[in-house]
Amino acid sequence: MTSRDVHDVLNLPSDHSGAPRPSKKQKTSAPRPNLKGLAREVQNLGGDNPIAIVPEVNFFKKRRFASRKPVAKWELKAFTNSARGDDGALVLRHWKRKTDDGAPVEGAQDGEGQQQRGEGTPASERKEEKPDDSAFAKFNVQVVVPHYTEEQYHSNLQNNDWTKEETDYLLGLAKDFDLRWTLIWDRYDFTPRPPGGDGANGDTSTAVVPAPKQRSMEDLKARYYEVAAKMMAVQKPAQYMTRPEFELYEMMQNFDPEQERKRKQFALNTMSRSKDEAREEESLLLEVKRILARTERFNEERRELYNRLDYPATDSDINSFKSSAGLQNLLQTLMTTDKNKKRKSIMPSEGVSPNSAVPNSAVSETNPANRRESIAASATTNNHARHDSDVRTPATPADPTPTSAASGANKKKGGSAQQPPERRKLTQQEEQVYGVSYHDRLGSGPTFRYEKINKLYSHKSGQQQLRITNALSELDLPPRLVMPTATVTAQFEVLWGAVTALVDLRKISDRLDGEIKIEEVKKAERDRAKRILPEKEKEEKGEGEKAKADGGGGCGVDGEKAGDKKDGGGDGEKTQEGGGQAKEDGEKKRPGSSGSLTAAGHKRSASVLSAASDKSAKRHKKQ
Amino acid sequence: MAQQPLPSSVQPTDVYGGDEVSAIVLDPGYINTRAGFAGEEMPKQVLPSFYGHITSSQRDLFGDEVIIPRADFEIRNYMNRDSVVEDWDAATKIWEHALINRLGVPRPTPASKNGLNNKSKPAAAAEGEDVEMADEADLDETENYEKPMQENPLLMTEAAWNSPKQREKAIEICMENWACPAFWLSKTPVLAAFAAGKATALVLDVGGSNTSVTAIFDGMVLKRSVQRSHVGGVWLSSQIRSLFEASEPKVEVVPTFMVENKKPVEAGQPAEARLRTFDFQISPSFRTYEEERVLTEFKESVVEVWRGPGRYLAQGNEDYAKSLPGRVFEMPDGSNQMWRDQRFKVAEGMWDDHAAFPSATEEGKITKAQTVPGLIKAALDAIDVDIRPALLANVVVTGSTSLLPGFNDRLNHELTAMFPSVKVKIHAAGLSSERRFGAWIGGSILGSLGTFHQMWISRKEYEENGPGVVEKRCK
Repeated sequence: MTSRDVHDVLNLPSDHSGAPRPSKKQKTSAPRPNLKGLAREVQNLGGDNPIAIVPEVNFFKKRRFASRKPVAKWELKAFTNSARGDDGALVLRHWKRKTDDGAPVEGAQDGEGQQQRGEGTPASERKEEKPDDSAFAKFNVQVVVPHYTEEQYHSNLQNNDWTKEETDYLLGLAKDFDLRWTLIWDRYDFTPRPPGGDGANGDTSTAVVPAPKQRSMEDLKARYYEVAAKMMAVQKPAQYMTRPEFELYEMMQNFDPEQERKRKQFALNTMSRSKDEAREEESLLLEVKRILARTERFNEERRELYNRLDYPATDSDINSFKSSAGLQNLLQTLMTTDKNKKRKSIMPSEGVSPNSAVPNSAVSETNPANRRESIAASATTNNHARHDSDVRTPATPADPTPTSAASGANKKKGGSAQQPPERRKLTQQEEQVYGVSYHDRLGSGPTFRYEKINKLYSHKSGQQQLRITNALSELDLPPRLVMPTATVTAQFEVLWGAVTALVDLRKISDRLDGEIKIEEVKKAERDRAKRILPEKEKEEKGEGEKAKADGGGGCGVDGEKAGDKKDGGGDGEKTQEGGGQAKEDGEKKRPGSSGSLTAAGHKRSASVLSAASDKSAKRHKKQ
Repeated sequence: MAQQPLPSSVQPTDVYGGDEVSAIVLDPGYINTRAGFAGEEMPKQVLPSFYGHITSSQRDLFGDEVIIPRADFEIRNYMNRDSVVEDWDAATKIWEHALINRLGVPRPTPASKNGLNNKSKPAAAAEGEDVEMADEADLDETENYEKPMQENPLLMTEAAWNSPKQREKAIEICMENWACPAFWLSKTPVLAAFAAGKATALVLDVGGSNTSVTAIFDGMVLKRSVQRSHVGGVWLSSQIRSLFEASEPKVEVVPTFMVENKKPVEAGQPAEARLRTFDFQISPSFRTYEEERVLTEFKESVVEVWRGPGRYLAQGNEDYAKSLPGRVFEMPDGSNQMWRDQRFKVAEGMWDDHAAFPSATEEGKITKAQTVPGLIKAALDAIDVDIRPALLANVVVTGSTSLLPGFNDRLNHELTAMFPSVKVKIHAAGLSSERRFGAWIGGSILGSLGTFHQMWISRKEYEENGPGVVEKRCK
């Protein structure tokens, strides 16, 4: 039987349970010394730690008589307390351990004892005549209250409200009560002496005894701080003060009793507040907190939205997406990722551009005759951003926006994509708000709006392009729009049309001028050749002049007339129409939503007019 | 050395700032006068402030045990109902009796004599007879111990509204008659706050003859806050008397000393007792004093404060109180009765002036401002708003009448109702003796502090400045 068996029986965890049994046996048995007079089984009971064999001791522990000291003696010792400030007049007695040679064995806190020991034997002699000082004397501390002399008072501390006597009294109280203002105020009971003094003039009986003033705690504090701050400054000018000193000085100088009074009033009100009021206030505070949190969240969402609307800055090359094929490619990849996400829409709430644009194009291929609606993606989002706050809350949850309805309807492919019959007609304003617009036909795939402008450019000849850009730069407009929203693009198109018309007209007028010159040259030659029938020629010239004048006016005011006569008449009509439309748009627009745009519109029309008049003026000059 | 616990022989005696100079604490009150050594936890001597006066021989007898039926025996009190000393001659005698005879302050007399006296005094006191010897006390010996308390500084207590004259008189007696080396006069609420371990507290002292509310700030009384009324133990006794008068049948209070023997009777039955007869006249003051003992017992065993919430007279509370189990009280003559809702109603006057029993005397009447909530409100209104929350968080309840069951619960309810937005915390000692002797215990703590030694008014100061020094020093 080994210790291990004992452990097993007693269900004790062995020291190294992991070790296999036999190997351990080998290990333990080898180094163990054989003790004599002890059975092996008994030895084995000890296990790893061998049984200790203690020698037998048959005598008791010796009493330590040597260390026994005589009983500690105590004596009734007299002591004084230096903190009393009466030069040891009061001698009290307390019990202290008796000491042999002047070295007291008192508690560690007896600092005086330590000192005496250092002084050695003379101390013990002196002790006979002079009792110890109390160990507690050192705990006596006193506040420092400002002092002033008579002159100092007169030069610095004069105050209409306070006499010197009362100030003295206040400072005395402050010292007595260690600047505890509650107590100072509580005990403040100053009765001014009658002005006659001690009957020096003999009229004390008739003198009116001034009634003691009721001073509030703030009054007392204000006066004390005033005195203290001034005396501080007198003793040490402010610029030489150390930092804490100056802070104290400044604090005392800036004491405002009025504010203190208000604070106390407030504290009083708070204390007298009933439980219900407190609860109400608490709930109101909670409400405020909730509102703040909500606006915070709202702002957060709005910021996120703006971030999303921001032009995404890409560092990779976007040229591959500039062509429609590239875009189609991108769309396909997006679609597949979308499908992988179990048909969760990429932009669930907005449901914007590429997603819905593709089915649209598909539908447009199947039944192109249908007049369909679409969402002008970026224009809509732009609008959304602006009207987000007021539109979203009422519209989104109540009825599905046309956007989502349209995309929902368009998801059903295969020609049967009939609009749901219950869809209601949108008013013009709603269309404006939701950014719904109708188009006759759309090209396949998404297009950028500014491309539309570019397309217009590309149709023109280089000469004309240059002229148009010149005209635009004359109007302080960049050739390419910074923010090509739908309205801006529309306005720009109108403007562009007008500019083109102008350029065309100018071309025509130039050509006419050229023809006139040619005719004149011809006429001069003819004159030279024939030198006859000068009247006829004159008539012809007058006609030309009339036509010119008509053309100039037509640009600004009566385009139709001029247009009828000239080649660019169709263009002119368009201009007029476009202008009218722009005006309408401007009126329809919500105020403030696109003020800049309307302003730009006005500016445009005005500048066009001026440009036109400029040109006619030039023409007149030329003639 | 500082870390290890010291053996008792090496341990400094001045732990916790204590430094005992065998000062004596004297705490006179209307019902009791307490005296003992500073540093102890209970007063060694508690004797009634009532004393016996034998009109025929003009002798005064002091102590509880001498107040027994005697011929020409009157009961007097050296204090008045305001807890202010009225009869200074008697006060001096009774204090001397307490401090010198009973407390056994060693006198500087010859050793042989001293030892004899010390032995004979307690024996005489125990027998309850011949205590008059104390004030006779061998005239020659009295002269010998001209300065009976030469060794012991005396710390005395006073009511917060004590007048300067009274205070000067106190120091005069201490210095002139007893030759104390040092003296201090402290106000009872301050000491009660110290006993509760607070330097800033609102002390509600519901004592025998007075109930007072005092704000203590940093160990000093705020004078403007002191509020008091007579709604105390004595007033409660008068309420009980009114209750007995009003109950049907009338309850007669027969003091214990009148009863020779009695037989048990059923509740509500008239008593069957044989009363003692005396061959001398029992003075009314003695009878009243003895009746008061019975009433005190009634207070201690029956009366309870309606715990709240709400007043006792509020809707439904009275009916609920009626349904509570009652308590039986047996009079000394054996007649007994069950007291149910009355036991709440008796004490309700302390809280609600409308609930008080109508009283015949002017003293028994009570106004709203004299109730406990009224006093607290008035006290708090008189002090700075900044420290009110601190005070309400340290409400110290002391005085033996506050030991009525339910008192603290009710107080808590009243205070939280009055100051809903402030945290109210009530500190009331659990031990009844600590509640009874709150001021004395505080004095005991103060007198044994090492830092207090600089405060004592020394004999020299008194001699230099006269009794006026007490006004200057004990603020």
